[in-house]
Amino acid sequence: MRKLGSKTLSILGRLLASKGSALALIFLVSITLAAIFADFLPLNPVAQKLANALKGPSATNWFGTDELGRDILARVIFGARTSLVTAGGAVAIAALVGVPIGLVAGFFGGWRDAALMRFVDVLLALPAILFAMAMIAVLGRSQAAALIAVGLTGIPSFARITRAQVLTLRKRDFVTAVEAFGGTATYNMFRTILPNSWSPIFVQVVVLCSVAILLEAALSFLGVGVPPPTPSWGEMLRTGKSYLHEAPYYAVLPGIVLTLTILSFDVLGRALADLLEGRRDAVIAPKAEEVTS
Amino acid sequence: MIGFVLRRLLQLVPVLLLASTAIWAMIYAVPGGPIGAIAGDNASPEQIAAATAQFGLDRPVLVQYADWLWNAIRGDFGMSIRGRAPVLELIGQRLPATLQLAVAATIVSLVIGIPVAIASALRPGSWLDRILSGWSAMALGVPTFWLGILLILVFAVELRWLPSASAYVPIWKDPLGAIRNLALPALTLGIYVSGILARFLRASLVSELRADYVRTARSKGLPERQIVGVHILRNALLPFITIVGLMMANFIGGAVVTEAVFTYPGIGRLLIQAISTRDYPLIQGCIVVILVLYIAINMAVDVLYAYIDPRIDYR
Amino acid sequence: MVDPVLSVRGLKVDFGGEGRSVPVVRGVDFDVYPNEVLCIVGESGSGKSVTSLAVTGLLSETARVHGSIRLCGIDVTTADPETLRQMRGRDVGFIFQDPTTTLNPVLTVGRQITEGEVAHGRLKKSGAHARAAELLREVDIADPEGRAGQYPHQFSGGMRQRAVIAMAMAGQPKLIIADEPTTALDVTVQAQVLAVLARRQAEMGSAVILITHDLGVVAEVANRVAVMYGGRIVETAPVAEIFANPRHPYTRALLRSIPRIDTSDSRLDPIPGQPPIPGALPKGCAFQPRCAVGRDQPLCKAEDPALVAVGDQRQSACHFAGALPAEAIAAEPRILAASAAKHEPLLVVDGLRVHFPVKTGVLRRTTGWVKAVDGVSLSVNPGETVSLVGESGCGKTTTGRAIMGLVRATGGSIHFGGQSIRDLDHGTMRKARRQMQYVFQDPYASLNPVLSVEDIVAEPLRIHGLYDEMGGARRIAELFDMVGLSRTMLGRYPSEFSGGQKQRIGIARALALQPKLLILDEPVAALDVSIQAQVINLLQDLQRELGLAYLFIAHNLSVVRHVSDRVAVMYLGRIVEESSRDGLYELPVHPYTQSLLSAAPVPDPAVRDTRRRIVLEGEIPNPASPPSGCTFHPRCFRATEICSANAPSFDRYLDFATRTACHHAGPLEGRRNVFASGAMEIAS
Repeated sequence: MRKLGSKTLSILGRLLASKGSALALIFLVSITLAAIFADFLPLNPVAQKLANALKGPSATNWFGTDELGRDILARVIFGARTSLVTAGGAVAIAALVGVPIGLVAGFFGGWRDAALMRFVDVLLALPAILFAMAMIAVLGRSQAAALIAVGLTGIPSFARITRAQVLTLRKRDFVTAVEAFGGTATYNMFRTILPNSWSPIFVQVVVLCSVAILLEAALSFLGVGVPPPTPSWGEMLRTGKSYLHEAPYYAVLPGIVLTLTILSFDVLGRALADLLEGRRDAVIAPKAEEVTS
Repeated sequence: MIGFVLRRLLQLVPVLLLASTAIWAMIYAVPGGPIGAIAGDNASPEQIAAATAQFGLDRPVLVQYADWLWNAIRGDFGMSIRGRAPVLELIGQRLPATLQLAVAATIVSLVIGIPVAIASALRPGSWLDRILSGWSAMALGVPTFWLGILLILVFAVELRWLPSASAYVPIWKDPLGAIRNLALPALTLGIYVSGILARFLRASLVSELRADYVRTARSKGLPERQIVGVHILRNALLPFITIVGLMMANFIGGAVVTEAVFTYPGIGRLLIQAISTRDYPLIQGCIVVILVLYIAINMAVDVLYAYIDPRIDYR
Repeated sequence: MVDPVLSVRGLKVDFGGEGRSVPVVRGVDFDVYPNEVLCIVGESGSGKSVTSLAVTGLLSETARVHGSIRLCGIDVTTADPETLRQMRGRDVGFIFQDPTTTLNPVLTVGRQITEGEVAHGRLKKSGAHARAAELLREVDIADPEGRAGQYPHQFSGGMRQRAVIAMAMAGQPKLIIADEPTTALDVTVQAQVLAVLARRQAEMGSAVILITHDLGVVAEVANRVAVMYGGRIVETAPVAEIFANPRHPYTRALLRSIPRIDTSDSRLDPIPGQPPIPGALPKGCAFQPRCAVGRDQPLCKAEDPALVAVGDQRQSACHFAGALPAEAIAAEPRILAASAAKHEPLLVVDGLRVHFPVKTGVLRRTTGWVKAVDGVSLSVNPGETVSLVGESGCGKTTTGRAIMGLVRATGGSIHFGGQSIRDLDHGTMRKARRQMQYVFQDPYASLNPVLSVEDIVAEPLRIHGLYDEMGGARRIAELFDMVGLSRTMLGRYPSEFSGGQKQRIGIARALALQPKLLILDEPVAALDVSIQAQVINLLQDLQRELGLAYLFIAHNLSVVRHVSDRVAVMYLGRIVEESSRDGLYELPVHPYTQSLLSAAPVPDPAVRDTRRRIVLEGEIPNPASPPSGCTFHPRCFRATEICSANAPSFDRYLDFATRTACHHAGPLEGRRNVFASGAMEIAS
């Protein structure tokens, strides 16, 4: 534990030492804080003032107002809540299902590996966005549906990363050593292999956050994500697109926040991969299952 | 070679079977069940009876599944509920548009991605590398729908050079018109994917540059041009082909978002319409067609890769 | 006097930038003359490889090179890149260590061999294939026409290295630099490759710089030797002088610390401490903290001695080079463990088989078996060391792992302490394993990086629920004392330890449960030469104190001779010969054992011209499709028709203690054997 604590601190220190990752971290921390404490801010995302509709940025409405005269900044901040909760929940589902799948498949191999990985392949048989849309077509449109759908599309990447890590570790002598002392498979999996796999899993959590946010926004943009009136970034861009002529800021400003959030997770993910695993030039490019075009 | 292809095909069978079962079962998971899905939530008892008879919903589930699967294999996904036309016909109308966009976007992504990767990999850590890597990160981080909106704002709303909604114009009929209509969606998709491609290719180039065989090549006194152009590029392009293939496969089904931004009449938009109107036979048909194309391209890439990489013994 | 091909003066190489530069080479002077083999010897981090890369300008851009390097009249440090490029293709040829990575996997071997000549305009593309075949023929590759069109992965390791030699020699360079060219190869293949290299060098009259850590190889091929330590040359001399009368304390200590295949009974005299890390060198003479002569001498602590002449053609960098004691105190004789008299054997393995299925075809059906271990029988008595030797792929490690239950045995029986331990259920196996422990080859890979070393050593106790019963933290501290590690290190993590220390931790962990038998899988193979002796001595001390039995798995014949009571030689999954140590080394009767022993380089240049050497043809066959009959027959110099038809049984040879599996078993004709002590006298 002593090691863990000091290690976390030293990684944090090294993240802050680089300009890019420090900015990303600061941005993410502030947007998360804003989302958490949005209720205490003097902002109201639902108050309509039709007379005030589609007004450009001003001292009272920094990001301008939408077609119902609602404050866009307020909706962006409350939208952050939607985005972060959906993405966070989705990544949690993906990790909680994907990591054990990869662990068992990689450790035991054989039929368990074949069966589990076939299941994962089915999740990969469609591009992520289509898979999520199909799920929502079944589940109906709701925030929970969006969360589950995005979460399911994230399972393969966790399963594969964990499995690959387990397969490498499985051949390492310190894992064989535990077996030689008479350690059980469960002991080996959870006490030896898992503690040595946190780095790639953690990197994947961060990387997948950016993917999940993008995916959730895309679903909302297509009109199948989190249903209105809950503010969401994708939904704002969708509506904003109809007012490109009258109010270009409507689609542009929330898009900036969305883009910065995605970029920040990406920058952070790559910095962590570099720090934790020495993969300076490693490809943290999205895998096929993470592409949302 | 044939054995290798057969084996890959055989591995696909369980995936396809599982996936198609899931797609078929979709309709049973819908609130209200298949009858609600087909006849609508507010259907009268007569309508429900008619739908039950028409779609054979009173038969045993397994029979229904076998029937559906058999029809699906023959390409018959039934009639679209709202479109009142055979599902396959509706899809067939949209497929050329999607393919044309996919090819255009792939060209754009390669034209941008490959030079960026090579330029930044040759001098890792230099200012050029940093700028280009930053560019790839931007290309990846900017959501396609927002990028599309920005492009529309600039080129359609402000400059009025290009249409803000893109129609499908076959390129062999009207090349100029096709390009005008394709330019913005292809650029949107292409920029995004060029980020992925550049990042991937740069990483494999950089790691190949450090490989021992490069030192061997230098020790032979080969010109640097030849070391990069023959030795390194050959190794780095092998895995790259896989990625390009994956991206193409993605464009076919996954360009949903871009198609929506530009209201482009591809298969992705058809699917969104189907979902919003709860047209389940059409949803199933779209997904199956996309699935088959997606898997077919993936497999073709696998086979191609095994064929061109001398290390893989594809027997 | 002829002009040198290469002349290096005051070479310094620093790595890293922005304030912190690490000196890796710190002032090196040497010359290489035509038709001469100069060996540069040193341990890891001594700067030997960097020196060789620097002289041809092949170092990466992060390296800063100072000093003067004249190679065939070109000043390498000031020449422009184009001149250097021309020089590399014309005047120098390079052979690198790992033949698996030095060739480009996606280009044909023929193309890679000839592209240098093509690029320099000495060969037309149309003639390249014929030229490639010619070059491959010159390095004894069968079917050179066909092989030239193949890819590197279709070549075996030894063939790849020969192809690299062909490539390096294609342009008839005046200088060939070979960086550990045989380290990645098995000993019989090493003998082939060294023979080819020597023959081609003699044919072309090139100068050769051979970089190695293996003193046996040095004695075998060198004309002159330069010993490097801490980024400097500490001694140079003709090869015979270096071995007969070293004039630097490091050279002397190194020679005394290696186990030798031709002698066996003196206890090793290890060099204390660790080789220095570039960037953290001690003040003054870099060897001073480990030096028997200069340790704590004020002069050695203060001043790094210069390399000065200490006689005809020889130089030494030592303040006390002239005053070295003529012969250091004679090494203590090796203390043999009290031979266990008439005990029940502790471990009895009979007919052990480990076969792995080969799956092919569309349905992944099992179409064949890899017989990794195919009928191995051996026994280990309490307190005794039995060694399993063989080249890579012979099944020695699989045998060890199968005995430990880490790999499933598919046939045969394993008895430990009278009880069968094959196919036990997990719980029973666990109990059986308490008496039997495993030490792994790679100390870097065998310790869990996220646990402190205290937890690592305690892990077996915790798994068996015996931590408190066996004394808890006190027991762990005792184990640390036992393997010579300070108790202050208990809370540290594996990454903070050096290779030798990690191996000590691995041994402490194996001892935690008070086993009776240790299976040692190449326990010193990954360690530096000077560290190997420390670990070997530790293992021998522990054996004596605790009465342990060892099953020692190794490929290094010298180490095996030094540690064993009995030795078994494996080839393709079977034991081909087994005997007492001296019986096996002095009177081997199986042709494979004889070849193996003769191929092992002896660190004594005096015997290199008189020793009889058997260079085996070919390489170890694929265990998935072993040859018929006696699996060794395609490479055997005694093979007759019966050998390809019938597999010989494993039986006692005449009335000797030796057991062997050969239709034509018998000692080599002429003298008894090259390594027998009698033979040594004849030779010298």
